[in-house]
Amino acid sequence: MKPARFRYFAPHTITEATQLLDEQGDEARLLAGGQSLLPLLNLRLARPSALIDLNEIQALAFIHPRDGGLVLGALTRDATLERDPLVAARQPLLVEAAHYVGHPAIRHRSTLGGSLAHADPAAELPAVMLALDAAFTLQSSTGSRTIAAAAFFKGPFQTALQHGEVLTEIHLPGLPPRSGSAFLEFARREGDYALAGVAAVISLAEDGTIAQARLALCSVGPAPLRAAAAETVLQGRHPDEAAWQAAAEAVVSELKEPPSDIHGSADYRRHLAGVLTRRALALAAQRAERSHS
Amino acid sequence: MTTTVSERAWIGKDLKRREDPALLMGTVTYINDFKVAGMLHAAVLRSPYAHARIRAIDTSAARALPGVQAVLTGKEAAEVIGPVPAFCAEPVVEHAIAVEKVRYAGEAVVAVAAESRAIAEDALDLVEIDWEPLPAVTDVLSAMQPGAPLVHENLGTNVVYDHVFTFGDVDGDFAQADHVIRRRLRWPRATAAPLEPNGAVCAYDPARGTMEIWSNTNMLNSASWVMSSMLKIPPHKLNFYPMYTGGSFGSKHFLAKVIGIAGALSKVTGHPVKFMEDRLDNLMANDSQGPERIYDAELAVTNDGKFLSLRLQTIDDYGAYFIFAITGNTNMMAQITGPYTIRSVATGIKAVLTNKNQQTVFRGAGSDVGNWVLERLVDAAAEQLGIDRVEIRRRNFIQPDQFPYKIPTGNVYDSGNYPGVLDLALAHFDLDAWRQEQARARQEGRYLGIGLATAQQRSTYSSTEFWFHNPAPATGLNSTPESVRISVGPTGGVTVTMFSPFWGNSPETVVAQVVAEELGIDPRDVNVTYDSTAHALPSAGPGGSRMTVMLAGAVHGAAARLKEKIFKIAAHMLEASVSDLELVGGQVRVKGVPSSSVSLADIGMRAYWFKLDLPPELESGLEGTFTYDHPYTTKPHEDRKDLGVFYPIMGHAAHLVAVEVDIETGAVLFKKYVAVHDVGTVLNPRSLQGQIRGGIAQGIGLALLEEVRYGADGQNLTSTFVDYLLPSASDVPSIEVYHQETPSPFTAYGVKGGGEGGRMVAPPAVTSAIEDALRPFGISIAEMPITPEKIVRWVKEAQSRRSGQTH
Repeated sequence: MKPARFRYFAPHTITEATQLLDEQGDEARLLAGGQSLLPLLNLRLARPSALIDLNEIQALAFIHPRDGGLVLGALTRDATLERDPLVAARQPLLVEAAHYVGHPAIRHRSTLGGSLAHADPAAELPAVMLALDAAFTLQSSTGSRTIAAAAFFKGPFQTALQHGEVLTEIHLPGLPPRSGSAFLEFARREGDYALAGVAAVISLAEDGTIAQARLALCSVGPAPLRAAAAETVLQGRHPDEAAWQAAAEAVVSELKEPPSDIHGSADYRRHLAGVLTRRALALAAQRAERSHS
Repeated sequence: MTTTVSERAWIGKDLKRREDPALLMGTVTYINDFKVAGMLHAAVLRSPYAHARIRAIDTSAARALPGVQAVLTGKEAAEVIGPVPAFCAEPVVEHAIAVEKVRYAGEAVVAVAAESRAIAEDALDLVEIDWEPLPAVTDVLSAMQPGAPLVHENLGTNVVYDHVFTFGDVDGDFAQADHVIRRRLRWPRATAAPLEPNGAVCAYDPARGTMEIWSNTNMLNSASWVMSSMLKIPPHKLNFYPMYTGGSFGSKHFLAKVIGIAGALSKVTGHPVKFMEDRLDNLMANDSQGPERIYDAELAVTNDGKFLSLRLQTIDDYGAYFIFAITGNTNMMAQITGPYTIRSVATGIKAVLTNKNQQTVFRGAGSDVGNWVLERLVDAAAEQLGIDRVEIRRRNFIQPDQFPYKIPTGNVYDSGNYPGVLDLALAHFDLDAWRQEQARARQEGRYLGIGLATAQQRSTYSSTEFWFHNPAPATGLNSTPESVRISVGPTGGVTVTMFSPFWGNSPETVVAQVVAEELGIDPRDVNVTYDSTAHALPSAGPGGSRMTVMLAGAVHGAAARLKEKIFKIAAHMLEASVSDLELVGGQVRVKGVPSSSVSLADIGMRAYWFKLDLPPELESGLEGTFTYDHPYTTKPHEDRKDLGVFYPIMGHAAHLVAVEVDIETGAVLFKKYVAVHDVGTVLNPRSLQGQIRGGIAQGIGLALLEEVRYGADGQNLTSTFVDYLLPSASDVPSIEVYHQETPSPFTAYGVKGGGEGGRMVAPPAVTSAIEDALRPFGISIAEMPITPEKIVRWVKEAQSRRSGQTH
């Protein structure tokens, strides 16, 4: 299990990285935490001509407050997300979901930007980005653009990133008052790829009804998905078991063809998506109520 | 002379494992760390097909790659090495590199030796093979059909072995029974999957015609004569060096293919060659997959819950080859009736070949399966007769005064106290409290279950189990010796040499404690080492939970011989008679006259460097060697109505488990796990507990997670650890382990082997707990692994059956 030959570069700035991307052509790949890419290299399932290692670019690892929300550098490690007080205060959903990414040793290497750019349909963080209405900055040698998470994830391991672009920043708007969030997933073992995962954000109105529900799922389709129909079902309702049940049914009927493999059939994943939706929504609502009291 | 319990200074002491510092500091050399000058690295191209003929192989581009030293197809390898040695009598021939056709996905097709592993893998990319794919058989029931594709054409069938053994009046006992409990049960294919895969460095010396072999095989001394025919080098010109082994669980017995590949490449290149399996190699082709069985199992029971007879028929998926014949099935005949007084048994075995990696032995070696099948029947009997699961077991236990106890197959159980083990487990578990908690939880819509298993853990195998199923066996082996050498050096230092390697357990700890006991010294002062086969005494190596028993016996014997010489020299030095001397605290002294003593150092110096001051009949040097043979084994009867005594050192365990099942997701959460084991005299409680916990972790893995899966086309779907799910730290609960000690009358100090027990008892206990949790749904569990998806499906099916009945 040794990788095929490749050229290796370790630039120190984003500008150097984008120049290298241009020079090295289509077969070059960016290396962030390497927790997905290196196994693919070792199995020779990926055979890039060049690896451009981003780990020396200090400017990509940061967490800043902005407008009640956060801006995060793409090289922020998952272990940092789990422990950072600012993230915990402003986006506890990210902390909760990061904890489900692999195992501690993996999380000390794996990065937020790497997970998003790799776009594994089973990954937690892309679904969280959908639920939090995140936006991403993509930079190339010719400039930069900002894209909504909803437009970024295209399919299994497919994103809106063009060749020559580096995902540099993740923007997370702040949550409205009286909001609570929850991330739940089910996997065969702790740290395994989820068979289904649900990210839920509930924002309550003054009268205690649901002002806004945001719900996104991983591992139940070709890409992370936002459960729009279920969100509509919840709008204006009282946060109770009946509401969660209705949302769960909407999610289940919304799922077209969940993946099927030796760890879980499509039917079972669909079933789990319903159960986890109900539980995640209830937990998020409980937290929203608690945030107010 | 064996010391009595009260006199023991070191046996039974809870000492830290002496192996750990070196393992934790990384100062031991594993095979993948090992290098010799000029060494090349091998990589293997594996078949993408489960069943295919090799029409042609073009290796020219691979050979031309810079850094490549040799490329071998199966045909080319067969010019320098012979077939893989096999213990079966049937003509099932396997080569380290496939010749003409492949029989499972992942079988080796081409091997390369190059200056680095990466270059060797680059070369594999350049090999071109013209394949003729053949239909694959991956299901035993299809494989048995007439006209099924044949895995080995020369056999004319895929059913390689088919026989029913009957012991006692089975038909008569079934006719007398008030109830017959019947179950169809399925045991899943699992694999040992040690963290360290198999590896070998072979160095052929064409000038001397010798080969030196460094590898992580467990069976060094058996390996040389077994491998000689394959390597085409006489056994006395092979020297196997012991290496530290990173886990085996039965998977590293011979490693014939790994040694064959490295050996062939070394012969061809004239360089030392390392072949180290990677994870794909190991999970696809390690030859250590466990049984995959369908059982039709029946238990004859009286109205008052007494078990009369057991009737089993199994179809066992052996995969593509048959190197250990039906060992997985003969092994369980050692304890097929469990801890119960079942008086007759019939066991039918159909061994079927399919296009999968072959089954050999894996921790439990089939006795794990037997325990699960029997305990499933016992739980079913309790349910059907309305007798409590604890009570029905008590009614059938062999009683402490019935030992030695001969079971219907002919094997003898040496000693035991099964009610005592169960009582101890119940005392630590608090069954009544858990039953109350279960009732309370059910009111809340939560599903708690309590599981129980009381089962055997045979230890100290005898090699008759490899062939007694066959009236015309390929071998009639019946020795399984183990030896040690104890040397006292000129300054009194004590060194013990073993001739079997470190395989992941605690042999050094065990040996040091026993030597310390016998010589009256501190075990921390004992040096323990290993020697290569060129210097070895007879040793069969680890397997079948034998090493603690065998090493204790060997050390006991060697110490006695050593002490004889020590006393002779001391008597000469002290001008006393041997019968007046005693050995205390490393000093030999005249009984009752402590001032008149000599130390081991004095005696050592005298023995090595003062020949003229020794008793004239003594030679220089001070060492004791001993070869300990199996303490109690007999040959099978000619008619095989009695298989003889082959696994008499019989341990026992009771596991009590509480789980909670989330019926919506299917998740199983452990609430409490109590394990009580009786493996005779405990040499070191700490290392035994580690063994038991590790075994239970593997048993939990089997019950909930692990399964080698093949697609209908024969592709291995579990060739990485993403898909072959081993239990991790978060899947294994805190396990309370307690010991009861019922010494064996046949072994040194009364010890029994405990290496496999945890894995042999956990699967039925965990299954029982989950079935109990799901009892409100009337679910009977007949297969493993018990995955969350299956639980959800069973519950849904039960709910729809219920609603069907009520409407």
